[in-house]
This record gives sequence, structure tokens and C-alpha cells, in this order.
Amino acid sequence: MNILNIQKKLPLIVGLAVLLCALPFLVRFVAGNQYPLLIMCIILIYIIAVSGLDILFGYSGQISLGHAAFFTLGAYTSGLLNIYFNLPLYLTIPAGTILATLIGALLAYPASKLKFHFLSLATVAFGEITYYFLYKSPGGFTRDFKGINVISIGFLGEDYLKWYFFLLAFVVIVLLGKTSLIKSRTGRAFISIRENTHAADGMGINVRKNKIIAFAVSAFLTGLAGALYVHLIKYISPETSMQKQSVLFLTMLLFGGTASIMGTIMGVVCIEVLMEAIRPLQEYQMLFYGVLLLIVIVALPGGIYGGLKNVAQNIRKAALKRLGRNTDNQKKVEKGGEA
Amino acid sequence: MFKILLINGLIIGGVYGLIALGYSLIYRASGLMSFAQGDMITLGAYLGLTFYSILRLPFFLSFILTFACAFIVGVLLEKGVIRALLNKSVLPIYIVLATIAISYIIQNATQALFGTTTLRFPQVFSTATLTISGITAQTEAFACLVISLALMFLLHLFMTKTKFGTAMRSAAMDPLAAESCGINTSMSTGITWALAAAIASIAGMLLGPMYGVYTTLGSVVGRKGFAGAVVGGYGNMYGAMVGGIILGLVETFVAGYWTGTYKNLIAYAILILFLFVKPTGIFNEKAIQDV
Repeated sequence: MNILNIQKKLPLIVGLAVLLCALPFLVRFVAGNQYPLLIMCIILIYIIAVSGLDILFGYSGQISLGHAAFFTLGAYTSGLLNIYFNLPLYLTIPAGTILATLIGALLAYPASKLKFHFLSLATVAFGEITYYFLYKSPGGFTRDFKGINVISIGFLGEDYLKWYFFLLAFVVIVLLGKTSLIKSRTGRAFISIRENTHAADGMGINVRKNKIIAFAVSAFLTGLAGALYVHLIKYISPETSMQKQSVLFLTMLLFGGTASIMGTIMGVVCIEVLMEAIRPLQEYQMLFYGVLLLIVIVALPGGIYGGLKNVAQNIRKAALKRLGRNTDNQKKVEKGGEA
Repeated sequence: MFKILLINGLIIGGVYGLIALGYSLIYRASGLMSFAQGDMITLGAYLGLTFYSILRLPFFLSFILTFACAFIVGVLLEKGVIRALLNKSVLPIYIVLATIAISYIIQNATQALFGTTTLRFPQVFSTATLTISGITAQTEAFACLVISLALMFLLHLFMTKTKFGTAMRSAAMDPLAAESCGINTSMSTGITWALAAAIASIAGMLLGPMYGVYTTLGSVVGRKGFAGAVVGGYGNMYGAMVGGIILGLVETFVAGYWTGTYKNLIAYAILILFLFVKPTGIFNEKAIQDV
């Protein structure tokens, strides 16, 4: 069955792969410079980060309003190791990711017993503490408010085309991993916790442990995104860990639609492209987040992916109904004919 | 030194207390959490500025007008957004996110209307200082403290002694049962949000003359106010005030005697500490823990 499915989908997968590989060349050809490629790279990084948030919020139903802190933790660890010890990319990125994961798990240990409202408070506090710590660290080892400039000596350099394929590989691995996690026993436990914590507890699921796992996996992905980001942009400042960035991640997630692979991708692409389009109005960037968030929450709780799915379902239902009625009529006619 | 720090701590603590009072009120009466409360301070400060400084109305009148406007904004907020979401029975967290969205909208709207510069709120009680038992401070500072305490007391009376307050509490506890007893739950949550907004606008009127008026005046104070509410026990009126004042004092004393570097960090450290160690707060208010 599974093999059959894959075989059926094979043309689609191959088509998608060809499209994704051809896209950067096409974009570079049309635009004539590297800038759109950079945006595409940022989109790929944000897909990883928002996937992390999706595991926590979309699947496990736990809120985090401080996810940007994990992003910056990954980025700072990765960046600081680079500027102080001159470590290469393939060591600093895992280091940043691991630190973010550890801190995520540590935070989740006491936080997992809090109800959603208070969990959101705890994560806000965590984000703010991270921000103020990086902004004014003991001894200034984080370069404080100036942020850090990374002199990346990686094999990727400034060539965004190489970066694109490097990040694309990460995104594919992350999304495959996410899918298999969700389909696993742990993933089903996450969903049951989201749907009804008490029932999940009653079914013998260790709620606390699974919440901590969800937090850790989420921090892992977001930290990874941050660690990649700092090497791509070569700069990170404490500003990134502010609530604004966390809300940006949430806006992307909700706009696209929670608890789905496609929703995450659509949300990130739409919001990032939109943000680029309104760059001249950057002063009012937050207004756009606010209005978008409000519209999505009030009018489109499933995000655009959920909305599209609903529309598709309705069309299919309507089509089936019409088809069904037609066959009914035919039957009647046949019966009438017989009589 | 000690006396100056004490009075400063009490003043900022009073403001934190007012914010925390708003949070507790909303939580007590509708079981929800608002992140837009801080921006209601900003809104109140700008409204007060408009009435008092630009339209040159008497202070008392502008005070009442600000209160009324914020009340109306609160009602509209509840009717337009919160009620719409509650009727859809979405996850409570979507309501929190909606309030965050509203807070951004308020920040940017005030920025668009009044610009990014800090505006000066004219002194209300001239520049007179008041001396009580050897401590001299601005009259506004004392007014701030007195008004905060009075509001706390009035609110507590309102919530526990009046019929309407009881109805509000019952609507929060079990909306369905309250509805079946003939309580208009929609109206009672509307009034709750409106009251919370109005209280925050008073805090804005009080903060304005001391700190000047700017677009992010409220958002920082608002987020720190959560610490006050949690320290006192989220949902408890007295707890909100006590927690707010404790927060203000700790913040001021640490900044005064030890280090000013981490002034902003303290509130969040206290918040996270209380959430993890004693989530029910000083007044042991329940309903925070999950499984």
C-alpha cells in the first residue's frame, strides 16, 4: 500500500524536486542579482524554525511566545564559537542547536506543568530574560547591543546559490523527520495531549515527559534555524530575541495553518514575501503583523492551507452530491422505465 | 537614599499594581488573559494628553473623558474581537494572540497619529511637592499611590459585594450555568474588559506627567505587570496590588543599592521564579497548574 502510494506520487515528487532545483537559477536569471536568492534562503531557514514551533503549538497544543529566544540562542552560540575560537561551520551549527535543545528541555521541565495562559507568560519571561542578557551580558562577551559579526570561513562563502541547496537539503530532512515523528507513537501522544490532556493522561501517556520532548524537539529545530541563520546573514543582534520575532514566527504559522507541512511552508513564504513587499513601510511592519494575525484568528482559524482544504472539500462534496443526485435520478428513471 | 528609593518603589509599584489589577479582573471575570492591557496605558496617556493639553479641558473633566473613552474602547474590543472568538469556541490561546495583535495595532496607530517623539504631559498639580513624615515627593506620586489603592479597594467591593460583581464572577466560573441562571454573560465580560481598559487608562494618566508620553510607554510596564499579578496570585485583587508594590520595591532597591544593569531583567526573573516555584502566588490563588 505504502509503496503503491509512493509510486503514485512519484511524478509529483520528481516534478517538485525539478522545480525546486530550477527555481534559484530562474530567479537569478530574472532578477539579475543575488538578493532574491537571499530571501529564498531566509524563507528556507524560517521554514525550519516555524516547523519547530508547529511541533510545539500545532501538534502538542503548547504555546510559546518566546520562541525567538531559542532562535537567538542557536545563532549566538554558533556565532560566538565562530568569532572566539574560529571553529568551522560544521561544528558551530551542531553546538548552537544542542545548546538550544538543552535549554528548551530545561525550561520545559518546570514549565510543562503550567496551563497555557501561564505557559505563555513563562515563555514571554524567558524571551525577555534572553534579550536583556544578550543586550547586557556579564563582561560583554556577547558584544551586547552591538550584536556580533561573524566572519564565516565555511565552504559556502557568499554564494547564495550554494547556500540555497545546502539549506534545501536541511529543509527536506527536517520536514521528512517531522512527518515521521508525527506518525510515530510520540507524535500521536503529542496530538492526544493537544486534544485532551486529561484523557491522554488516563490512556497512560506520560504527559509531562511528552511535553518536555515536544519542547526539546521544537527548540532543536528553531535553534538549528538560528545557527544556520547567523552564518547566512553573518550578523545577529539581541533585537532578534524580542517578542516581535516570536510573534512573527507565530503569525507565519497561523497564517499558513497549524499542524501541517504545507501550512508551514505556505505561511512562511506568504509572510516573508509580503514583508519584503512592504519594506519601504518598515516603520509600520508591526501593524501588518497585528492586522494579519487578527484577520487570520478571527476569519481563518485554519490558516490559508486550512481554508484551501475546506474549499477543496466543499467542491468535492458538492461535486459528489451532484453526481449522486444524477445517479439517483438515473436509477429512478430506470426504475420508472422498468415499471 | 532609602526614603527616596522607598517612595519611588511605591510609586512604580502602584502603577504595576494597577496593571496587575486589570489582569486579575479580566482573569477573575472571564478566565482570559490580555496582552493589550499595557497598551491601554499608552492609549490612556495619549487620550489624557489630547483632552488636557491639546483641547485644554480642566483636568478633572479630561480624567472622566479618558476614563469613558477607554471604557468604550474596552467594550468595542470585547464585542468586536473577544466575543467573536469566544462564540467560535476557539482555543483560549487564540484570544491571547488576538490581544497581542491588538496591542501592535494600538502601538502603531498612536505612532501614526502622534509620531515617535516623547510628548510632554503638563504637570497637573503644578510643581508642588508634598512632605509626609520627612519624605518629600511630587504630589503626583502620592496621588498615584492613593488612587491605585482606592481603586483596588473599590474593585474588590464591586466584585464581592454587588450583585453585578457576583454575576461577573459566576459568568467566569461557568458561563453555561450562569447563562441558565439568567445572567447576561456576554454583557458581564464586556463590562469586565471595559473596566480593565479604563483602569489602565487611569494608570496612563498617572504615568504621563512623570515619564512623558510615547508609544511604547505601556507595553514594557504592561509586560512587567504580569510579574506583579503572578506574585500576588493571578486573579486576586489584593494580591495584584501587593504583588505590584513588591515588584516595584524590589526593582527600585536592586537598582539603587546593587546594580542598575539588570533593572529590566528583575521583573521577568521574579515572574519566572514564581511561575515555577509558587504559581499560586502569595495569596494562594488557584487555577494555574495543569496535569
